[in-house]
Amino acid sequence: MLIKLAWKNIWRNKVRSGVILSAIAIGLFAGTYLAAFMEGWIIGTVKESIDTDIACIQIHSPKFLANYDVREYLQGFPDVAEMPDETTISGRIVLAGMLQSANNALGITAKGVIPEQEKTVSAVWKTIPDSMGVYLPDDIKMPIVISKKTAGKLKVHLKSKIVFTFQNANEEMQSVAFRVCGIYKTSNSMFDENAVFVKYDDIFPLTALPENAIHEVAVNFPDLKTCDWVYPKIKAALPGLEVLSWKEINPTLSLSLGATEFFGAIIIGIFLLALSFGIVNTMLMAILERTKELGMLKAIGMSKNKIFRMIMFETVFLTFLGSVAGIILATIVLTPSLKTGIDLTFMMGDTFEDYGFSAIVYPVINLKMFVEIAVLVIFAGILSAIYPARRALKINTIEAIKTE
Amino acid sequence: MSIIKTKNLVKVYSTGLMEVRAVDNVNLTIEQGEFTAIVGPSGSGKTTLLNMIGGLDRPTSGEIIVDSMDITQLSQKQLVDFRLKNIGFVFQSYNLIPVLTATENVSFIMELQGREKREIDARTKEILSDVGLADRLMSRPAQLSGGQQQRVAVARAMASRPQFIIADEPTANLDSKTAEKLLDMMTEINKKENITFLFSTHDSRVVSKARRVIVLEDGKIVSDERK
Ligand SMILES: Nc1ncnc2c1ncn2[C@@H]1O[C@H](COP(=O)(O)OP(=O)(O)OP(=O)(O)O)[C@@H](O)[C@H]1O
Ligand SMILES: [Mg+2]
Repeated sequence: MLIKLAWKNIWRNKVRSGVILSAIAIGLFAGTYLAAFMEGWIIGTVKESIDTDIACIQIHSPKFLANYDVREYLQGFPDVAEMPDETTISGRIVLAGMLQSANNALGITAKGVIPEQEKTVSAVWKTIPDSMGVYLPDDIKMPIVISKKTAGKLKVHLKSKIVFTFQNANEEMQSVAFRVCGIYKTSNSMFDENAVFVKYDDIFPLTALPENAIHEVAVNFPDLKTCDWVYPKIKAALPGLEVLSWKEINPTLSLSLGATEFFGAIIIGIFLLALSFGIVNTMLMAILERTKELGMLKAIGMSKNKIFRMIMFETVFLTFLGSVAGIILATIVLTPSLKTGIDLTFMMGDTFEDYGFSAIVYPVINLKMFVEIAVLVIFAGILSAIYPARRALKINTIEAIKTE
Repeated sequence: MSIIKTKNLVKVYSTGLMEVRAVDNVNLTIEQGEFTAIVGPSGSGKTTLLNMIGGLDRPTSGEIIVDSMDITQLSQKQLVDFRLKNIGFVFQSYNLIPVLTATENVSFIMELQGREKREIDARTKEILSDVGLADRLMSRPAQLSGGQQQRVAVARAMASRPQFIIADEPTANLDSKTAEKLLDMMTEINKKENITFLFSTHDSRVVSKARRVIVLEDGKIVSDERK
């Protein structure tokens, strides 16, 4: 009965209820949309970075990363049992050195990889456009894959010859000529500036390293979450080696994940605060308008408890309806872009990519987040209903029923 | 059997230096089934007296015995419950909940009392036809005339099966013909259900319908006549 009356009461002033309903719906929609967008953006960026560049987990000799010392190698793949089936692994020789064309010279890092292996871990090969060659093919001698950036700086093209110079394990300078077989472009320009790829078998003989030596093992999983539980196992299994997860390799990435959540929380907090003021205001108006009626209800014997509950129901209905409308709106608007993504290049050109962010965002609808936001909204609604409801209880019955 | 009894009832309002004895030592006994009008000039204390008897206001001193219980001793919370179970109210205006139909307005009070749905439905229908609104069951207050609204209010007041009904100027917003009709209807209900009515009025035609007339002046009873 109270519920029915509360329901009817909110439609008393259709315009006012409509306004606050829309405010809640639009606010919630904006909040979830923004959150889905940011989460999608960051996860996209992180995933892309992991899949092309760093992989989920890297394993090195403990001293290798300090100054890329050639002699800090691993003897083949370390033994790790109990990896999930979908795990992909690639071993690399990593050599810091100089890349020279007729025009220019650049400091870069060359990765000697076994193409079939490497392709399962890193998506760099996918970023080579059809017109820009292929990834380390068998029919080209001494192939090298460089980025579009590097190609531009060296002023070289497909099939150009370039020379790579590095110091081997015997501290001898080695220079070796490669032919550009493919030019890639990832969305992370810092990565592009630094990394070139050659075949393991081509570069290995020059390193003066023992059989099967590698500097880096990259481990990847299709699902980022797998990393969270596999990583500690690998780390525990290889106490003598440096085992790093993507979070340690690129703290900025994992920080930006955290930061998004933090800013998301702040935005939602501001929204909730504004919402609360809106609700308090609306309900206070609704109560002020009904002073006589509420006084009459108290006079004929409606208890404070019931009046309080009635006002609370009214508020909860308003916020609940608004929340549902907002969530439906967000779902309708977001669903199409879940697959196709939202292309940001129209806004700022390639700026995002220059900073290592992907330019196409696939929003992520996080059900947990949706529910959390809706619960928070309703909670804020209930909290902000308390003050108006208490005001309703303070109405002086005798004054209210007095007719002047 | 007396249903209401006041003993030395006093209500004093002090505003600054002024002291107004709105109700001044009123001793009044109302019997079961009486149909009583309280009259008197403006400011004579009618509303104040009715509010105290109705458990809406507290006296400065004195007792109000209803059903052998002194209601001045009840807590605020107990008073609300007491009003719900024992007193029917008809006010001059703003009697009804505008978003509810006539039927719902009458049912509402019984729902507050926690009565059973079947009983509520039956009694609502019966009472609304008693007050002559059998054909307006689904009308909202705004769709009813002033007289019809007051009839719904009387129906609501009776619906809860109170010990008595208090009506402070129930006809003040009605033209005198409609007021007379309302009173005729109240008289009929009073006879049919033997419900006690205590109402105040300014209207001499309404007064003539009462079987007992109490005249107040400056908070004191100056005359009390039964016809
Ligand atoms: N809240 C109050 N504060 C101060 N004085 C009050 C208050 N309420 C009533 N009074 C005074 O008490 C006296 C009785 O008022 P009351 O309203 O009971 O008269 P009434 O007989 O109902 O008058 P009316 O016919 O105009 O309705 C008046 O002098 C009025 O000014
Ligand atoms: Mg009065």
